Amino acid sequence: MLSTLKGMLMTLKTSLRKPVTAQYPKQHLPMMERQVGFPALTWDADVGEPYCVGCMVCVRMCPTQCMSGTMIDNPLHAEGKSTRRKIIEEFEINLGRCILCGLCVEVCNFDAIEMSHEHEISHFARNGRRSNLPVLLEMGKKYQAESNWISPAVKKAAIAAAKAAAAPAAAAEETKEETGEDK
Amino acid sequence: MVLWVDGERIVDAEPHIGYLHRGSEKLCEGELYPQIITLFDRMDYLANYNMELAFCSAVEKIMGITVPERAEYIRVILCELNRISSHMLFYGTMGLDAGAMTPIMYGFRERERIQNLFEAVSGARMMHNYFRIGGLREDPPEDFAERVSGILPALAKGIEEGDKLLTYNEVFLARSRDVGAISGQDALDYGLSGPSLRASGIPDDIRVTEPYSAYDRFDFDIPVGNNGDTWDRYAMRVEEMRQSIRIIEQALEQMPDDGPTKATGVRGIPRPPEGEVYIRVETPRGEMGVYLVSDGGDKPYRLKVRPPSFANLQALRPMLRGVYVADAVMILGSLDIVLGEVDR
Amino acid sequence: MILLIPLALVVAALLSIVVLAIGYGGEGVFTILVKSLSMLTILSVVVLSLTWVERKALARIQQRMGPMRVGPYGLLQPIADGLKLLIKEDIMPSWVDRPIYWLAPLVVFVPSFIVWLVVPFSSDLVLRDMDLGLLYVLAMSTLSIIGLIMAGWGSANKYGIIGGLRSAAQLISYEIPLIIIAISIAMMAGTLNLSDIATGQGNTWYVLLQPLALVIFLLAGLAEVGRSPFDIFQAESEVVGGPFIEYSGAHWSIFFLGEYINTFLVAALLTIFFLGGWSGPLLPELAWFLIKCYSVILVMFWLRGTMPRLRIDQLMALGWQGLVPLSFLNFLMVAFAMFYEWPDWVQSVLSLTMLIAASSFLYMKMASKKVRPTVRLISAREVRRA
Repeated sequence: MLSTLKGMLMTLKTSLRKPVTAQYPKQHLPMMERQVGFPALTWDADVGEPYCVGCMVCVRMCPTQCMSGTMIDNPLHAEGKSTRRKIIEEFEINLGRCILCGLCVEVCNFDAIEMSHEHEISHFARNGRRSNLPVLLEMGKKYQAESNWISPAVKKAAIAAAKAAAAPAAAAEETKEETGEDK
Repeated sequence: MVLWVDGERIVDAEPHIGYLHRGSEKLCEGELYPQIITLFDRMDYLANYNMELAFCSAVEKIMGITVPERAEYIRVILCELNRISSHMLFYGTMGLDAGAMTPIMYGFRERERIQNLFEAVSGARMMHNYFRIGGLREDPPEDFAERVSGILPALAKGIEEGDKLLTYNEVFLARSRDVGAISGQDALDYGLSGPSLRASGIPDDIRVTEPYSAYDRFDFDIPVGNNGDTWDRYAMRVEEMRQSIRIIEQALEQMPDDGPTKATGVRGIPRPPEGEVYIRVETPRGEMGVYLVSDGGDKPYRLKVRPPSFANLQALRPMLRGVYVADAVMILGSLDIVLGEVDR
Repeated sequence: MILLIPLALVVAALLSIVVLAIGYGGEGVFTILVKSLSMLTILSVVVLSLTWVERKALARIQQRMGPMRVGPYGLLQPIADGLKLLIKEDIMPSWVDRPIYWLAPLVVFVPSFIVWLVVPFSSDLVLRDMDLGLLYVLAMSTLSIIGLIMAGWGSANKYGIIGGLRSAAQLISYEIPLIIIAISIAMMAGTLNLSDIATGQGNTWYVLLQPLALVIFLLAGLAEVGRSPFDIFQAESEVVGGPFIEYSGAHWSIFFLGEYINTFLVAALLTIFFLGGWSGPLLPELAWFLIKCYSVILVMFWLRGTMPRLRIDQLMALGWQGLVPLSFLNFLMVAFAMFYEWPDWVQSVLSLTMLIAASSFLYMKMASKKVRPTVRLISAREVRRA
């Protein structure tokens, strides 16, 4: 009976610990930075249009083929306010079909689509989670605000600029050392 | 499972499978290589990283790509953590089959720790889609090493607690000892692999006999059983969890601090040259095989998966002859079958 | 049928009135009615609280919270459960044996209820202080076994019949150690009156004199009620619910009530026999009785959370080869002690020795270091070299 008694002692010790339950929905566990939620389209606040130009690479890459969209000439480009020649007109993601794999984010060349933190999308209608462009842009704006989103292209440019600024300084130091050794 | 019984004893058994068939192998023929990784995640849904590793190793072998050091070590750490979490679920369901309702809660509590870590690394708790052909999708977060070494003591303690509760409990021993025994030679004949084979006394572990990834640089033990009964199959997995912790500790020490996590020369969608390759990997269930035939395009010509649970199910029949109906539940639980990979 | 529960309660109340009325000694019909209805209410409240305590206790053992949403700390959860069971649709398959199917829950519930007429809650809280109280209790608790067989047979379902007969076998086999221990206690106390057994312990509770008897009574009581580790006849992974398989809604809730009343009965009997009933300093007697009862019940829940369940043949083996000889030995020891008038400490030493011997025997045979199965560890380097 000794092993059983040891086991009983262990359950007794566990019963005195604090429970690990987080009572949803009153209590939400903290969200990780990289947590994947459903995809959302990002909004370029400087220009006032979505980042997405409608190249459809994500639509072709999606394993479940849950996305569709149309591309038109950008009216803002004609007015000279934007560098994007084409812009997205209609975009639809069937969020019920999305498997949250993140491949669309990986292949996008324009940082237009991101995996937001949105994961509570239950709906009463059967196909009710077919989201169109305004809904996706709303989700995107929310995600950008809560995560202080900087476009990855901008981030890369900043790193390259920092390296370029450090390079002449490093070259100056090297010449200084050489002249120092010469002396 | 259909059982023919005589009173309380089982005379014959026939498992009926195919209820979870999703056509994964056929779908693979129509999907690009990066998309297939999502399919492999979902085949054995308890050991996602091991499945991704199998597929990525197959394509890397056929293309001749070397994965950078840091990526190898991170892959090994994540695969071993996945092994621990899969065995924790096994521990819980084994207790539930026996009738105890606490082990499953303890098992899931430990799994939460590991899944939180996975969420921090890859973004998703289960279907990660994190390994890529040639390395990883992106660098793990900066505090990866601290996080992993932070949860290891808690995991070790959880394993000890679970051990104390169930392993030598008199009732559990009475339920599982000498129940469903299978000899070593029979196990080899039926194609068993993994912990179920090692329980019958055969020290065969693919991580040791045909090392892949970085497994030849670690020093660990292989648990081997004596009788091949249900208790041995259960104890294998508990001991394997401890050995996985050893491997993770060694990997954390040996891992280079920085370095590329993606192999050079892999751009966009890979197009492997024509050829075929067969890769073996040790998942928590046993020997997982991937047979890939490529015709030079961006989609495979044929991708066949050899799931361990499918072969392990064959051994169910000899194990079930002559035992009580109540033991059938224990024996099926001890084989640790995941129907997602049986049916694909 | 939603009418079944009120029907059952009315039948139980009527039967209890009949029992009370026998030996009608100056008590008016009105007092009898009030007493039996109050007993019914108290028992229902106790059963509701037991369901809540069980869920909370199991949850804390598993390091989680139990019910928390319905009412503060889930205190209204039992009421929600009860309401749900009442308003559930009662599905009666067309091939059942109607009279037997309908009567089975009543046959299980009514005896478990009318046993409570003689169980004392404190020195003056007893409905009917029978001199043959113990005999009455044991006789009535045996009647509910017929109800289980009727439930299994009436369901006309293979698994129901198997489960029903298995439960009958289990309950009958575990009645024997229960009765023999009860007889040993009655011998020591010299009376069959439950209140006298409780008060006759004085300051030396019988647990100090006979710890072995306590353990046997606890195990036999657990098997009587059908709780872990002896719940194979109602386990879902084994016989899919056993005799209760075709019952739903109000019918099932009566079985459920009966099981919890039996649990409380076993705890109450254990308290009366071994833990001194209601004796204790400071607090009123009823409070002590309830505290002791609930401690015993917490131990029963603790066992449920820890142990896996025994297979049916192992269960029968434990009963016939383990508990029955031990209970006979205990009986003999008490008889010898009383005949030769040994002092009390001899009894407790003998009993403790037998208890330790029995459990060590079990440990030695199964799980001691020499006998337990082991796992060999082979270093990877050796396998690589070979």
